Amino acid sequence: MIIMAGTLDFLSVNVWHILMAIGNLLILVLILKKFLFKPVQNILRQREEEIGKTYSDADKALSEANAEKELYLKKLDDAKQEADNLIKSANERAKAESAEIISDANREAERRRRHADEDIELARKKAAAEMRDAVSEMVIDLAEQVVGKEIDSKAHAELIDDAIESLGE
Amino acid sequence: MEIEVTGAKILLELPLGITITETQVNMWIVMAAITAVCIWLTHDLKVRPTSKRQIVAEYIVKTAENFVTSNMGAKWKWFVPYIAALFSLAAFCSLSSLLGMYPPTSDLNTTAGWAIMTFIMITFYKIKTNGPLGYAKGLTEPIFIMTPMNILGEFATPLSMAFRMFGNVASGTVVSALVYAALAVANNALFGWLPGILGEMGEKLPILQLGLPAILSLYFDVFSGVLQAFIFCMLTMLYIASAAEKE
Repeated sequence: MIIMAGTLDFLSVNVWHILMAIGNLLILVLILKKFLFKPVQNILRQREEEIGKTYSDADKALSEANAEKELYLKKLDDAKQEADNLIKSANERAKAESAEIISDANREAERRRRHADEDIELARKKAAAEMRDAVSEMVIDLAEQVVGKEIDSKAHAELIDDAIESLGE
Repeated sequence: MEIEVTGAKILLELPLGITITETQVNMWIVMAAITAVCIWLTHDLKVRPTSKRQIVAEYIVKTAENFVTSNMGAKWKWFVPYIAALFSLAAFCSLSSLLGMYPPTSDLNTTAGWAIMTFIMITFYKIKTNGPLGYAKGLTEPIFIMTPMNILGEFATPLSMAFRMFGNVASGTVVSALVYAALAVANNALFGWLPGILGEMGEKLPILQLGLPAILSLYFDVFSGVLQAFIFCMLTMLYIASAAEKE
Protein backbone atom coordinates (compact mmCIF):
# COMPACT_ATOMS: atom_id res chain seq x y z
CA MET A 1 0.00 0.00 0.00
CA ILE A 2 1.57 3.21 -1.10
CA ILE A 3 0.32 6.65 -0.33
CA MET A 4 0.93 8.63 -3.43
CA ALA A 5 0.50 12.15 -4.49
CA GLY A 6 -0.67 12.76 -8.02
CA THR A 7 -3.78 13.48 -9.98
CA LEU A 8 -5.90 11.74 -12.53
CA ASP A 9 -6.33 13.28 -15.93
CA PHE A 10 -9.35 15.49 -16.38
CA LEU A 11 -10.92 12.74 -18.50
CA SER A 12 -9.87 9.31 -17.35
CA VAL A 13 -11.54 5.93 -17.32
CA ASN A 14 -10.83 3.47 -14.57
CA VAL A 15 -12.81 0.26 -14.25
CA TRP A 16 -12.29 0.07 -10.50
CA HIS A 17 -13.62 3.55 -10.03
CA ILE A 18 -16.65 2.73 -12.16
CA LEU A 19 -17.28 -0.38 -10.06
CA MET A 20 -16.83 1.61 -6.86
CA ALA A 21 -19.33 4.22 -8.06
CA ILE A 22 -21.86 1.46 -8.73
CA GLY A 23 -21.08 -0.19 -5.40
CA ASN A 24 -21.42 3.08 -3.51
CA LEU A 25 -24.78 3.73 -5.16
CA LEU A 26 -26.07 0.25 -4.26
CA ILE A 27 -24.80 0.60 -0.69
CA LEU A 28 -26.64 3.92 -0.39
CA VAL A 29 -29.79 2.22 -1.70
CA LEU A 30 -29.56 -0.28 1.15
CA ILE A 31 -28.80 2.47 3.66
CA LEU A 32 -31.79 4.55 2.56
CA LYS A 33 -34.01 1.48 2.62
CA LYS A 34 -32.95 0.57 6.13
CA PHE A 35 -32.69 3.99 7.74
CA LEU A 36 -35.27 6.08 5.88
CA PHE A 37 -37.90 4.13 3.95
CA LYS A 38 -38.47 1.14 6.24
CA PRO A 39 -38.98 3.11 9.46
CA VAL A 40 -41.14 5.79 7.83
CA GLN A 41 -43.24 3.28 5.91
CA ASN A 42 -43.66 1.24 9.08
CA ILE A 43 -44.90 4.25 10.96
CA LEU A 44 -47.22 5.20 8.07
CA ARG A 45 -48.67 1.68 8.04
CA GLN A 46 -49.16 1.75 11.80
CA ARG A 47 -50.90 5.09 11.49
CA GLU A 48 -53.16 3.73 8.77
CA GLU A 49 -54.06 0.76 10.97
CA GLU A 50 -54.74 3.04 13.90
CA ILE A 51 -56.97 5.27 11.79
CA GLY A 52 -58.81 2.24 10.45
CA LYS A 53 -59.28 0.98 13.99
CA THR A 54 -60.54 4.37 15.11
CA TYR A 55 -63.05 4.43 12.27
CA SER A 56 -64.33 0.92 12.98
CA ASP A 57 -64.52 1.73 16.69
CA ALA A 58 -66.50 4.85 15.91
CA ASP A 59 -68.84 2.89 13.63
CA LYS A 60 -69.33 0.28 16.33
CA ALA A 61 -69.99 2.90 18.97
CA LEU A 62 -72.47 4.62 16.66
CA SER A 63 -74.39 1.43 15.94
CA GLU A 64 -74.43 0.61 19.65
CA ALA A 65 -75.69 4.07 20.45
CA ASN A 66 -78.38 3.71 17.80
CA ALA A 67 -79.45 0.36 19.21
CA GLU A 68 -79.65 1.84 22.69
CA LYS A 69 -81.61 4.79 21.35
CA GLU A 70 -84.10 2.39 19.81
CA LEU A 71 -84.34 0.59 23.11
CA TYR A 72 -84.94 3.78 25.04
CA LEU A 73 -87.53 4.99 22.54
CA LYS A 74 -89.34 1.68 22.90
CA LYS A 75 -89.15 1.94 26.67
CA LEU A 76 -90.43 5.49 26.50
CA ASP A 77 -93.34 4.33 24.34
CA ASP A 78 -94.10 1.54 26.77
CA ALA A 79 -94.02 3.96 29.67
CA LYS A 80 -96.36 6.33 27.88
CA GLN A 81 -98.73 3.45 27.15
CA GLU A 82 -98.66 2.42 30.75
CA ALA A 83 -99.27 5.94 31.98
CA ASP A 84 -102.20 6.23 29.58
CA ASN A 85 -103.56 2.96 30.86
CA LEU A 86 -103.12 4.06 34.44
CA ILE A 87 -104.89 7.34 33.82
CA LYS A 88 -107.68 5.63 31.94
CA SER A 89 -108.28 3.02 34.60
CA ALA A 90 -108.07 5.64 37.32
CA ASN A 91 -110.61 7.69 35.44
CA GLU A 92 -112.88 4.72 35.08
CA ARG A 93 -112.56 3.85 38.72
CA ALA A 94 -113.20 7.42 39.73
CA LYS A 95 -116.27 7.54 37.52
CA ALA A 96 -117.54 4.31 38.95
CA GLU A 97 -116.91 5.47 42.48
CA SER A 98 -118.55 8.80 41.93
CA ALA A 99 -121.56 7.08 40.42
CA GLU A 100 -121.74 4.81 43.41
CA ILE A 101 -121.37 7.71 45.82
CA ILE A 102 -124.13 9.60 44.04
CA SER A 103 -126.44 6.64 44.02
CA ASP A 104 -125.64 5.99 47.70
CA ALA A 105 -126.39 9.57 48.46
CA ASN A 106 -129.61 9.38 46.50
CA ARG A 107 -130.61 6.24 48.29
CA GLU A 108 -129.78 7.76 51.63
CA ALA A 109 -131.72 10.88 50.81
CA GLU A 110 -134.63 8.76 49.70
CA ARG A 111 -134.48 6.75 52.86
CA ARG A 112 -134.33 9.88 54.99
CA ARG A 113 -137.20 11.46 53.14
CA ARG A 114 -139.28 8.39 53.61
CA HIS A 115 -138.38 8.32 57.27
CA ALA A 116 -139.36 11.94 57.64
CA ASP A 117 -142.66 11.27 55.88
CA GLU A 118 -143.39 8.46 58.25
CA ASP A 119 -142.48 10.66 61.22
CA ILE A 120 -144.71 13.41 59.94
CA GLU A 121 -147.54 10.93 59.41
CA LEU A 122 -147.06 9.55 62.86
CA ALA A 123 -146.97 13.01 64.40
CA ARG A 124 -150.03 14.01 62.46
CA LYS A 125 -151.87 10.92 63.62
CA LYS A 126 -150.72 11.52 67.16
CA ALA A 127 -151.75 15.16 67.00
CA ALA A 128 -155.08 14.15 65.50
CA ALA A 129 -155.62 11.62 68.29
CA GLU A 130 -154.70 14.18 70.96
CA MET A 131 -156.88 16.74 69.37
CA ARG A 132 -159.70 14.26 69.18
CA ASP A 133 -159.28 13.42 72.89
CA ALA A 134 -159.10 17.06 73.80
CA VAL A 135 -162.16 17.87 71.67
CA SER A 136 -164.10 14.97 73.05
CA GLU A 137 -163.28 16.05 76.65
CA MET A 138 -164.18 19.58 75.76
CA VAL A 139 -167.42 18.41 74.17
CA ILE A 140 -168.21 16.33 77.21
CA ASP A 141 -167.50 19.29 79.49
CA LEU A 142 -169.70 21.45 77.36
CA ALA A 143 -172.37 18.86 77.22
CA GLU A 144 -172.21 18.40 81.04
CA GLN A 145 -172.52 22.09 81.51
CA VAL A 146 -175.38 22.18 79.03
CA VAL A 147 -177.11 19.11 80.34
CA GLY A 148 -176.22 19.92 83.86
CA LYS A 149 -175.25 16.63 84.85
CA GLU A 150 -172.32 14.52 84.55
CA ILE A 151 -172.12 12.51 81.49
CA ASP A 152 -170.67 9.24 81.87
CA SER A 153 -167.68 9.83 79.70
CA LYS A 154 -167.11 6.23 79.36
CA ALA A 155 -170.61 5.42 78.33
CA HIS A 156 -170.72 8.17 75.82
CA ALA A 157 -167.20 8.17 74.65
CA GLU A 158 -168.04 5.98 71.73
CA LEU A 159 -170.77 8.23 70.63
CA ILE A 160 -168.66 11.36 70.88
CA ASP A 161 -165.81 9.82 69.09
CA ASP A 162 -168.06 8.98 66.20
CA ALA A 163 -169.25 12.55 66.14
CA ILE A 164 -165.72 13.90 66.09
CA GLU A 165 -164.70 11.45 63.45
CA SER A 166 -167.40 12.74 61.25
CA LEU A 167 -166.37 16.32 62.05
CA GLY A 168 -162.73 15.78 61.45
CA GLU A 169 -163.23 14.53 57.90
CA MET B 1 -0.20 32.47 -17.58
CA GLU B 2 -1.03 28.81 -17.51
CA ILE B 3 -4.26 27.32 -16.33
CA GLU B 4 -4.35 23.63 -15.48
CA VAL B 5 -7.54 21.66 -14.96
CA THR B 6 -7.01 18.18 -13.61
CA GLY B 7 -9.09 15.30 -12.31
CA ALA B 8 -9.27 13.95 -8.80
CA LYS B 9 -6.18 13.74 -6.62
CA ILE B 10 -4.97 10.20 -6.05
CA LEU B 11 -4.83 9.64 -2.32
CA LEU B 12 -4.02 5.96 -1.98
CA GLU B 13 -2.67 3.27 -4.27
CA LEU B 14 -3.58 -0.32 -3.50
CA PRO B 15 -2.47 -3.55 -5.17
CA LEU B 16 -4.08 -4.69 -8.44
CA GLY B 17 -3.95 -1.13 -9.70
CA ILE B 18 -6.76 -0.01 -7.47
CA THR B 19 -6.50 3.63 -6.55
CA ILE B 20 -8.47 5.62 -4.07
CA THR B 21 -8.94 9.19 -5.17
CA GLU B 22 -10.75 12.23 -3.93
CA THR B 23 -13.77 11.01 -5.88
CA GLN B 24 -14.21 7.92 -3.73
CA VAL B 25 -13.37 9.60 -0.44
CA ASN B 26 -15.67 12.53 -1.07
CA MET B 27 -18.45 10.19 -2.14
CA TRP B 28 -18.05 8.26 1.09
CA ILE B 29 -18.19 11.49 3.03
CA VAL B 30 -21.41 12.41 1.21
CA MET B 31 -22.85 8.95 1.85
CA ALA B 32 -21.95 9.17 5.51
CA ALA B 33 -23.62 12.57 5.73
CA ILE B 34 -26.78 11.26 4.03
CA THR B 35 -26.82 8.25 6.36
CA ALA B 36 -26.39 10.47 9.40
CA VAL B 37 -29.23 12.73 8.27
CA CYS B 38 -31.50 9.72 7.65
CA ILE B 39 -30.75 8.23 11.07
CA TRP B 40 -31.31 11.60 12.72
CA LEU B 41 -34.60 12.12 10.84
CA THR B 42 -36.03 8.70 11.57
CA HIS B 43 -35.02 8.05 15.16
CA ASP B 44 -37.85 8.06 17.64
CA LEU B 45 -40.71 8.04 15.14
CA LYS B 46 -44.22 8.11 16.56
CA VAL B 47 -47.58 7.08 15.15
CA ARG B 48 -48.82 10.50 16.14
CA PRO B 49 -45.96 12.77 15.08
CA THR B 50 -44.81 15.32 17.59
CA SER B 51 -41.60 16.52 15.94
CA LYS B 52 -40.84 18.50 12.82
CA ARG B 53 -38.12 15.97 12.10
CA GLN B 54 -40.67 13.24 11.57
CA ILE B 55 -42.81 15.43 9.35
CA VAL B 56 -39.77 16.18 7.19
CA ALA B 57 -38.88 12.48 7.03
CA GLU B 58 -42.43 11.55 6.02
CA TYR B 59 -42.49 14.36 3.50
CA ILE B 60 -39.25 13.12 1.89
CA VAL B 61 -40.51 9.55 1.68
CA LYS B 62 -43.87 10.57 0.26
CA THR B 63 -42.30 12.94 -2.25
CA ALA B 64 -39.89 10.22 -3.42
CA GLU B 65 -42.73 7.69 -3.74
CA ASN B 66 -44.86 10.18 -5.58
CA PHE B 67 -41.95 11.13 -7.87
CA VAL B 68 -41.37 7.51 -8.89
CA THR B 69 -44.95 6.27 -9.10
CA SER B 70 -46.15 9.29 -11.07
CA ASN B 71 -43.44 8.67 -13.67
CA MET B 72 -43.35 4.89 -13.72
CA GLY B 73 -46.66 3.68 -12.30
CA ALA B 74 -47.69 2.22 -8.96
CA LYS B 75 -46.14 -1.21 -9.54
CA TRP B 76 -42.66 0.35 -9.45
CA LYS B 77 -42.89 1.31 -5.78
CA TRP B 78 -40.04 -1.02 -4.91
CA PHE B 79 -37.82 1.13 -7.16
CA VAL B 80 -38.22 4.21 -4.95
CA PRO B 81 -35.11 3.65 -2.78
CA TYR B 82 -32.91 3.30 -5.86
CA ILE B 83 -34.09 6.60 -7.34
CA ALA B 84 -33.91 8.29 -3.95
CA ALA B 85 -30.33 7.06 -3.49
CA LEU B 86 -29.37 8.08 -7.02
CA PHE B 87 -30.86 11.54 -6.67
CA SER B 88 -29.49 12.27 -3.22
CA LEU B 89 -26.04 10.95 -4.08
CA ALA B 90 -25.83 12.86 -7.39
CA ALA B 91 -27.22 16.09 -5.95
CA PHE B 92 -25.13 16.13 -2.78
CA CYS B 93 -21.97 15.07 -4.63
CA SER B 94 -22.41 18.08 -6.90
CA LEU B 95 -23.27 20.33 -3.94
CA SER B 96 -20.17 19.17 -2.06
CA SER B 97 -18.14 21.51 -4.25
CA LEU B 98 -19.76 24.35 -2.29
CA LEU B 99 -17.62 23.22 0.64
CA GLY B 100 -14.51 23.38 -1.53
CA MET B 101 -14.46 19.61 -2.00
CA TYR B 102 -13.77 17.96 -5.31
CA PRO B 103 -17.26 17.00 -6.57
CA PRO B 104 -17.36 13.24 -7.31
CA THR B 105 -19.81 13.86 -10.14
CA SER B 106 -17.15 15.75 -12.06
CA ASP B 107 -15.33 12.41 -12.39
CA LEU B 108 -16.49 10.59 -15.52
CA ASN B 109 -16.06 7.22 -13.78
CA THR B 110 -18.78 8.09 -11.28
CA THR B 111 -21.40 9.16 -13.78
CA ALA B 112 -20.39 6.31 -16.09
CA GLY B 113 -20.93 3.81 -13.29
CA TRP B 114 -24.44 5.12 -12.60
CA ALA B 115 -25.26 5.24 -16.31
CA ILE B 116 -24.08 1.64 -16.69
CA MET B 117 -26.48 0.66 -13.89
CA THR B 118 -29.28 2.31 -15.82
CA PHE B 119 -28.16 0.57 -19.01
CA ILE B 120 -28.08 -2.83 -17.30
CA MET B 121 -31.60 -2.35 -15.97
CA ILE B 122 -32.93 -1.09 -19.31
CA THR B 123 -31.50 -4.13 -21.11
CA PHE B 124 -32.65 -6.49 -18.36
CA TYR B 125 -36.24 -5.26 -18.60
CA LYS B 126 -36.20 -5.27 -22.40
CA ILE B 127 -35.10 -8.91 -22.40
CA LYS B 128 -37.47 -9.81 -19.58
CA THR B 129 -40.45 -8.23 -21.33
CA ASN B 130 -39.83 -9.37 -24.90
CA GLY B 131 -37.72 -12.47 -24.31
CA PRO B 132 -34.12 -12.81 -25.57
CA LEU B 133 -35.31 -13.50 -29.13
CA GLY B 134 -37.73 -10.63 -29.08
CA TYR B 135 -34.96 -8.34 -27.83
CA ALA B 136 -32.60 -9.50 -30.60
CA LYS B 137 -35.36 -9.17 -33.15
CA GLY B 138 -36.12 -5.68 -31.96
CA LEU B 139 -32.59 -4.65 -32.85
CA THR B 140 -33.11 -5.63 -36.49
CA GLU B 141 -36.16 -3.46 -36.94
CA PRO B 142 -37.43 -1.79 -39.03
CA ILE B 143 -35.02 -3.39 -41.54
CA PHE B 144 -32.01 -5.63 -41.10
CA ILE B 145 -29.54 -3.00 -42.31
CA MET B 146 -30.39 -0.87 -39.26
CA THR B 147 -28.96 -3.41 -36.80
CA PRO B 148 -25.59 -1.70 -36.25
CA MET B 149 -27.36 1.60 -35.80
CA ASN B 150 -29.73 0.10 -33.27
CA ILE B 151 -26.88 -1.46 -31.29
CA LEU B 152 -25.10 1.86 -31.34
CA GLY B 153 -28.32 3.47 -30.16
CA GLU B 154 -28.52 1.11 -27.19
CA PHE B 155 -25.07 2.21 -26.03
CA ALA B 156 -25.72 5.84 -26.84
CA THR B 157 -28.26 6.07 -24.03
CA PRO B 158 -25.89 5.42 -21.08
CA LEU B 159 -23.06 7.21 -22.83
CA SER B 160 -25.07 10.38 -23.28
CA MET B 161 -26.36 10.20 -19.71
CA ALA B 162 -22.85 9.76 -18.28
CA PHE B 163 -21.38 12.57 -20.34
CA ARG B 164 -24.29 14.90 -19.74
CA MET B 165 -23.89 14.90 -15.99
CA PHE B 166 -20.09 14.75 -16.07
CA GLY B 167 -19.94 17.54 -18.62
CA ASN B 168 -22.24 19.83 -16.69
CA VAL B 169 -20.49 19.46 -13.36
CA ALA B 170 -16.93 19.35 -14.73
CA SER B 171 -17.52 22.27 -17.06
CA GLY B 172 -18.64 24.25 -14.06
CA THR B 173 -15.25 23.63 -12.50
CA VAL B 174 -13.49 24.55 -15.75
CA VAL B 175 -15.47 27.72 -16.27
CA SER B 176 -14.95 28.72 -12.65
CA ALA B 177 -11.18 28.19 -12.99
CA LEU B 178 -11.08 30.17 -16.23
CA VAL B 179 -13.10 33.05 -14.83
CA TYR B 180 -11.00 33.08 -11.70
CA ALA B 181 -7.80 33.21 -13.71
CA ALA B 182 -9.17 35.89 -16.00
CA LEU B 183 -10.22 37.95 -13.01
CA ALA B 184 -6.76 37.59 -11.53
CA VAL B 185 -5.24 38.94 -14.76
CA ALA B 186 -7.74 41.80 -14.78
CA ASN B 187 -6.96 42.48 -11.13
CA ASN B 188 -3.27 42.75 -11.84
CA ALA B 189 -3.85 45.00 -14.81
CA LEU B 190 -6.13 47.25 -12.78
CA PHE B 191 -4.13 47.61 -9.58
CA GLY B 192 -0.60 46.45 -10.59
CA TRP B 193 0.43 49.80 -12.06
CA LEU B 194 -0.04 51.58 -8.75
CA PRO B 195 3.32 52.80 -7.46
CA GLY B 196 5.34 51.18 -4.73
CA ILE B 197 3.71 49.15 -2.02
CA LEU B 198 0.22 49.94 -3.23
CA GLY B 199 0.96 48.11 -6.49
CA GLU B 200 2.26 45.03 -4.70
CA MET B 201 -0.78 44.96 -2.44
CA GLY B 202 -3.10 45.51 -5.39
CA GLU B 203 -1.61 42.53 -7.17
CA LYS B 204 -1.90 40.29 -4.16
CA LEU B 205 -5.38 41.27 -2.96
CA PRO B 206 -8.02 39.41 -5.02
CA ILE B 207 -10.40 42.34 -5.21
CA LEU B 208 -12.08 41.59 -8.53
CA GLN B 209 -12.32 37.90 -7.69
CA LEU B 210 -14.82 38.62 -4.90
CA GLY B 211 -18.27 38.64 -6.48
CA LEU B 212 -18.56 36.89 -9.79
CA PRO B 213 -17.14 33.43 -8.88
CA ALA B 214 -19.68 33.16 -6.07
CA ILE B 215 -22.55 33.78 -8.49
CA LEU B 216 -21.11 31.30 -10.98
CA SER B 217 -20.73 28.75 -8.22
CA LEU B 218 -24.36 29.30 -7.27
CA TYR B 219 -25.37 28.45 -10.83
CA PHE B 220 -22.97 25.58 -11.56
CA ASP B 221 -23.01 23.91 -8.18
CA VAL B 222 -26.47 24.51 -6.81
CA PHE B 223 -28.74 24.93 -9.80
CA SER B 224 -26.95 22.86 -12.42
CA GLY B 225 -25.91 20.15 -9.96
CA VAL B 226 -29.42 19.56 -8.64
CA LEU B 227 -30.93 19.89 -12.11
CA GLN B 228 -28.56 17.29 -13.56
CA ALA B 229 -29.32 14.90 -10.69
CA PHE B 230 -33.02 15.38 -11.42
CA ILE B 231 -32.54 14.81 -15.17
CA PHE B 232 -30.46 11.70 -14.55
CA CYS B 233 -33.17 10.21 -12.32
CA MET B 234 -35.92 11.23 -14.72
CA LEU B 235 -34.18 9.60 -17.70
CA THR B 236 -33.43 6.46 -15.70
CA MET B 237 -37.09 6.11 -14.70
CA LEU B 238 -38.49 6.84 -18.15
CA TYR B 239 -36.07 4.51 -19.98
CA ILE B 240 -36.63 1.64 -17.56
CA ALA B 241 -40.39 2.08 -17.43
CA SER B 242 -40.63 2.14 -21.22
CA ALA B 243 -38.27 -0.85 -21.46
CA ALA B 244 -40.62 -2.84 -19.22
CA GLU B 245 -43.66 -2.01 -21.33
CA LYS B 246 -44.82 -4.43 -23.99
CA GLU B 247 -44.75 -2.92 -27.41
